[in-house]
Amino acid sequence: MSVEFSRSLDLGTLRQRIRSTGYLLGRILFGDRVGFAIFLSTLLFAGLTWRVGFFITDNYTLANALAALGEGHLTVEKPVYGDLETPGMQISDGRLYGRNYGQIALAVPLLWTLQAVTNLVDFGLLFASLWSLLVLALAIQIGVLTGRRWTAVAVGSTLALTIFGWNAMLAEPLAGTLVVMAALQLGTVLATALTGSTLYRLFSRMHDHRIALAAGSMAVFATPVGFWAAIPKRHVTVVAIISAVLYTFYRSREDEPADALISPLGFRALSYALVGVLTWIHAGEGFVVFLALLLVDVPTARRNDGRSILVVGTAFALSLGPFLITNWLISGDPLRPTRMLTQFGELTEDQTFGSGSGSGSSSSSVYELLPPTLGSIAAELSNRVSLLFGPFVQGARVSVTQPGDIYRTVVRAGYIAGVGDLDNSQALNLTLLESAPILGGSVGLLGTLALVVRHRLDETTQSIRDDFTQTFVTSTPAPERSTDALVALSAIFVFLVYIPRLPLHAQVTVRYLLPLYPLAVYGIFRLASIRRTVTERGRLALWSYLAGVLFGSQLIFVVVSLGTVGRGGALQLHAVAGLVVGTVFALATLASTFDDRFDPLTAVSGGLAAALGTNLVLLSGLVYFQYGPYVLPMMDWLADVLAAA
Amino acid sequence: MNRPRVLVYATVTIILGVSLLSGPAIGLVDLTTPRYDMSGLGEGNATVDRVDAPSSVTLERAYQSESYYLTVPDARIHFSSLSGKPTVAYGIEISELGYSRSTTHFMTEGRTGWVTISLREDTFANDEVTKSGYDGRLTIVLRDSGGKTLVENKSVRIEVEE
Repeated sequence: MSVEFSRSLDLGTLRQRIRSTGYLLGRILFGDRVGFAIFLSTLLFAGLTWRVGFFITDNYTLANALAALGEGHLTVEKPVYGDLETPGMQISDGRLYGRNYGQIALAVPLLWTLQAVTNLVDFGLLFASLWSLLVLALAIQIGVLTGRRWTAVAVGSTLALTIFGWNAMLAEPLAGTLVVMAALQLGTVLATALTGSTLYRLFSRMHDHRIALAAGSMAVFATPVGFWAAIPKRHVTVVAIISAVLYTFYRSREDEPADALISPLGFRALSYALVGVLTWIHAGEGFVVFLALLLVDVPTARRNDGRSILVVGTAFALSLGPFLITNWLISGDPLRPTRMLTQFGELTEDQTFGSGSGSGSSSSSVYELLPPTLGSIAAELSNRVSLLFGPFVQGARVSVTQPGDIYRTVVRAGYIAGVGDLDNSQALNLTLLESAPILGGSVGLLGTLALVVRHRLDETTQSIRDDFTQTFVTSTPAPERSTDALVALSAIFVFLVYIPRLPLHAQVTVRYLLPLYPLAVYGIFRLASIRRTVTERGRLALWSYLAGVLFGSQLIFVVVSLGTVGRGGALQLHAVAGLVVGTVFALATLASTFDDRFDPLTAVSGGLAAALGTNLVLLSGLVYFQYGPYVLPMMDWLADVLAAA
Repeated sequence: MNRPRVLVYATVTIILGVSLLSGPAIGLVDLTTPRYDMSGLGEGNATVDRVDAPSSVTLERAYQSESYYLTVPDARIHFSSLSGKPTVAYGIEISELGYSRSTTHFMTEGRTGWVTISLREDTFANDEVTKSGYDGRLTIVLRDSGGKTLVENKSVRIEVEE
């Protein structure tokens, strides 16, 4: 008895226990200390431009649905924000429902936590305190990683306290009703941060920590993933889950490390389970990723024996549970999600209620020949199948018949009549390359492809046959190759499914294709030439990036405020600068594949291209788009100063 | 105890301490005060003795945007006296385009002398702007306890620049 008592009082043991639990949790969530540092930096970065406000009309739908779900109802009876006639609001049996329930459900614990915490800490000061604590936490990690604990902690503490004091001086009250919205946003901000750390983990297993650090952080800092971080739509959450699927898929192929917590089969099951969760957020995108995963996983798995299939199938079936139950509760049909697949993406802004059902009444004569029940089942089945696969077919057709749409989605958009009209006559929509010039590096894939082809041509036919047999028939391909295939297929599928609807208004950075940004960053950092550049010219690339952010953002800001360019013009300035730098980076990457003398150019142009991506996120967040109070009072102040300039 | 750890604990204690002490549960101090108290807005007394409004306004083609951008230069008003919280609305009207817009500024008590006021920019679609120039009207309206006073009302030429 007395022994037990003294043990529970032993603070040293308690601290040890907390510490080891912390380490385990940290390992599960972030992999290692560098992963945790990326997670923290991304949170800090997203905090800079985070405003508790509504950027786009369907934010109201999700926020009102979360408010209802937080109180325990699926149906949305009264609006907490705005009104209920917002895009994405669904109607079933005369009751209103939101959509993306997976995302909303995952935000419920965050909502309850925020509601509890705001009883203790002033809501207007809460995020300022958290941000300063994160600064300190990041400083501690950097201190341990660099071996300069004292310096890092001293600098970190000073910064944290100064910034906290500054924020406290400027703080204004935040309306209590905004807690729901803030919880929804906290969910997407956390998802953004996990995207960075997860891609880091993937690359630290494939290559080394340095490459991984670059890949993980560039995916969130140099692409519009950062733009959408605090805008509570599904996009960032979907991106986080796709990153996690890639990681778990890779782990399911890798030789099991001695310290692994889960077996490769466990990871394989986990990747399917993540797709199940994704389906709960957006059924269409869930299906797209499922199809890519299935097509790559089954042919490349080490074994597809009964046990594997049972484990994977069970995990997937269980993970679909919440999705099926939600559908059943709402529409009475477990397989009818809140938005049917024909409504891929958002409904257009003028459609509101009840347009989410996509069932057709066109039962063709073949089904009428069958007995009535069987016939209607077959008709329904064919309907659902065409709903599932129709978008891919349509996407493939559009890709061939309308190459102009691809050009205006990938390369250069400018002002597009019919799109700009709906954005207050402003050319607000950038293309993939314009919003993330670093994507220019994807052109390097062509160079690698050319090298492979040349290499193959040099070899005899015999060795090609051997090669083929080795890759596809006898043995399982390397984990990297399988993951490459999964990335490529997911990217192609996402592109095909959305291209018929693009270009479209209110996209800003082609948000429908948001998963393509981290997928492309994956592709770029898989290039041998880029990895060589990061390893040998990393410092040059890093300094180019930092200079590009510090000076580039100021330069763009000066041009925008001196010239009368307007918001559309400002975004077009980013677009044109992005195209120029992105093209240089594309050419440099291509040249680097063949000759390493081009590596310095690749490093500089890559750093600048990445910086332009960051600048777009920062300037959009601070200057171009204003819609609510910043979570950090100092950023509110800064935005006011910039607006007056 | 090593130095870094002490510093970390101290920093965390200060941040958490201030946050909790100023929070709703304890409420020792209130750190979140509205920067501008909206009560009594448009009330008070003000005398404007001089006004300096721009004489030309441009409608410029926006960069790479197939649209036009309306920029009205800032105006300046001179207060000889100012008490309470009057407001000043700076507006433009272009009747040919069926357009009017104004930006309201909140004045702070006791601030006399020259005050610069701005008018927010706006965008016009390409097909709306068909002529090389339009006639418009700039207005500056002071609102205080004595009601609304039109302190400036002048016609202005809006030049379209390609």
